[in-house]
Amino acid sequence: METLTHILNGFVVCMQPMNLWYTFLGVLMGTIIGVLPGIGPSAGIALLIPITYGMNPTSALIMLCGIYYGAKYGGSTTAILIRTPGEAASVMTSIDGYEMARKGRAGAALAVSAIGSFIAGTIGVIGLTLFAVPLASMALKFGPAEYFTLMLFAMTAVSTLTGESPAKGVIATIFGLMIATIGIDLQSGQARYTMGIPEFQDGVGFVVVVVGLFAMAEVFRGLEDIYRGTSAKAMKITGKLWLTKEEWQRSIGPIWRGGIIGFVIGVLPGAGGTIASIMSYTTEKRMSKHPEEFGHGAIEGVAGPESANNSDTAGALVPLLTLGVPGGGATAVMLGAFIMYGVQPGPLLFQNRPDLVWGLINSMYVGNIMLVILNLPLIGLFVRLLYIPVGILYPLIVAISVIGAYAINGSTVDLWLILIFGVIGYVFNKLDIPVAPLVLSLVLGGIMEQSFRQAMTISGGELKIFYNSGITVTLLAMSVISVALPFVMPMLRKLGSKGDES
Amino acid sequence: MADRIILACTVVLAGVYFWATAQIPTLELGDPLGPKAFPRMLGVGLLLGAVMLLVEIIRNSAKARLSADKGEVSDEPKWDKHHWLVVAIAVWTAVYIIAFEPLGFILSTASYLLALTVAFNRKRWLMNMLTSVLFAVISYFMFTKLLGVNLPPGILPF
Repeated sequence: METLTHILNGFVVCMQPMNLWYTFLGVLMGTIIGVLPGIGPSAGIALLIPITYGMNPTSALIMLCGIYYGAKYGGSTTAILIRTPGEAASVMTSIDGYEMARKGRAGAALAVSAIGSFIAGTIGVIGLTLFAVPLASMALKFGPAEYFTLMLFAMTAVSTLTGESPAKGVIATIFGLMIATIGIDLQSGQARYTMGIPEFQDGVGFVVVVVGLFAMAEVFRGLEDIYRGTSAKAMKITGKLWLTKEEWQRSIGPIWRGGIIGFVIGVLPGAGGTIASIMSYTTEKRMSKHPEEFGHGAIEGVAGPESANNSDTAGALVPLLTLGVPGGGATAVMLGAFIMYGVQPGPLLFQNRPDLVWGLINSMYVGNIMLVILNLPLIGLFVRLLYIPVGILYPLIVAISVIGAYAINGSTVDLWLILIFGVIGYVFNKLDIPVAPLVLSLVLGGIMEQSFRQAMTISGGELKIFYNSGITVTLLAMSVISVALPFVMPMLRKLGSKGDES
Repeated sequence: MADRIILACTVVLAGVYFWATAQIPTLELGDPLGPKAFPRMLGVGLLLGAVMLLVEIIRNSAKARLSADKGEVSDEPKWDKHHWLVVAIAVWTAVYIIAFEPLGFILSTASYLLALTVAFNRKRWLMNMLTSVLFAVISYFMFTKLLGVNLPPGILPF
C-alpha cells in the first residue's frame, strides 16, 4: 500500500515541468548519441556528469537515464541506413534492417524499430516497477559479505560473457580493479600507487577512463576507417514510414517475445543488450515459418532484436537500483553518476528517497512516449546527422571530450588520462580484450574492497564469513561456475560428441 | 602471436603490481587486513587470468593446427598497416594537450581541429575552417559563460 503511494507520488515528481524538460533533453541527446557513430551512451553520460554537477540529483539522473535508453532508439536508425550499428546492441538490426532498406523498405524497418522499441521499452519499465520492490526488500538483509560475493558474481559473469575469450575478460576485470586501488586508501589513510602524482591521491576518476575507452578510442578507430576508405554512406529513407497490415502481423509476436527476452537478459549480470538481441534473433529465426528470409530483409529480424535491446535497458536497471550493483558497462557508468551526485542506489534508496527512485522509474514511461515521437514522425531530422562528414565529426568528439574531462578538476592530468585510455581502448579493441568488464570493475572496485574489509572486520579476520550464509554460498558457487563453465564446456561437448559417435 | 604478447604483458603487470604493493608502508591499527591484502588478492587474480589465457592459447594453437591440416587459412593477425596513423593522431592530440593551457582553449582547439579536419575531410577548406573556428569560439563562450565550466583563456584577453 505504502509502495503504491510512492509509485503514484513518483508520477507527480516526473510530471513536474522541470523534470519533463530534463526527460526530453535526455532522450533527445540519447537519440542523437545513438544515431552518431563514435560516441555511445556510456561516453555521453560520462561527459555530462562534470557539466551537470550541482544540479538537482533527481533531474540530473532522469536526464542521464534518458540518454541511456534513448541511445538504443537512435542506434537502430544508423544500423538500418548505414549497416553499422550506431550503438553496439543494434548489431543484429543491421543485418535485416539494412537489407530491408536496400529493397526500398527503409521506412517500414525504421517504423517497426521505433514501435517495437516503444512497446518493449514499456514492457521493460513495467517489469522494473514490479520487480524493484521485492528485490529491494530482499537486499535489505545483505551484509558486507553478501555484497562482496554479489559484486564478485557480477564481475565474473561480465568478464566471461562479454568477449570471445573469458581469459581476456578476467584480465580486463582485474586491470580495472587495480586502477581502482590507485589513490588514498579510505580505511588506513595510506596513499597507494600514486606514482608521486598529487592528482592521483583522489584516484583515477571513472569519467576520464570511460571517455577515453569509449569516445577517444572510437575516434582513433573511426579516423582509421576513413583513411582506409571503409566508412559507409547513408541510404535515403524509402517507402512509407509505417507498416502494412501484413508486416504488422508478422512483427507483433517478435516484439512481445523480444521484450520479455530482453528484460530477463537485462536483469541477469553479464549478458547485456547485444546478447539479448542475438538471442531474440535466433529465437525468431527458429520459430519462423520462412527462416530462409532471415538475412535478406525479414521484418521479424528487425522487430525482435530491436525490442529486446530496448527492454534490456530497463531490466539492467533492476539490479542497479535495487541492489546498487550494476551488471554491465553502461549501468556501471550510471552507478558512477549516482555516486557523483551523492546518491547511493540500493535497497535503502527505496526507503529514504522514494521520490527520486519512482520519479526516475516513471520518467521512463514518459521518455519512451517522447522517443517514439522523436524516432518516427521526426526521424527525418535525425537522419540528417548521418550526412555530417565523419572527418569533421570525429575531431569534434575529441574536442568535446577534452572540455568534459577538463571540467572535472580544471587539470590537464585528466586530459592526459583520456588520451592514454583512448590508446588503451584502441589497442584492447584490436586485441579483442573487452572494455566493459574494466569499466564495471573500476566503478565497483572501491566499494568491493570496502565490503571485503568490513566483512573481515566483522568476522575478526576469519574467511568463513564468506561461506556462512546461504546467499554467499550461492553467489560464490555461481561465480565459480561462470568462470569455469567456458573451460569445462568444450570438454563436456567433446565427451558428448564421443558418446554420439559410439 | 598477439595473445602471447598479452600474456607476457599480463605477467609483467602482475609483477610490477606486486612490487608496488610491497612499497606501501603499513601501520596495522584496528584494521585486520590493512591496505595491502586486497591488492595482493588482485595480483593473484591477474596471474590466474594469465593461466586462463595460457590454456586458451594452447587450445587455440591445437585448433589452428587442425584447420591448417585441412588447408584452411588461419585468421590470426587482425593487425593492419595503419598503426602509424593512430600514432600520429595520438601525438597530435598530445601536442594539443601541451598547448591547451599556455595557448588557451580557443587557439589550441581551433588549430587542433583544423589540422585534423584538413587531413580527414579533404578539399573542403571553407567548411573545415568555419567548423574549427566557430566550434572553438562558440563552445568556449557557451561553457564558460553559460554553464560555469572553466576553460583556460590563455593568451587571448577574454
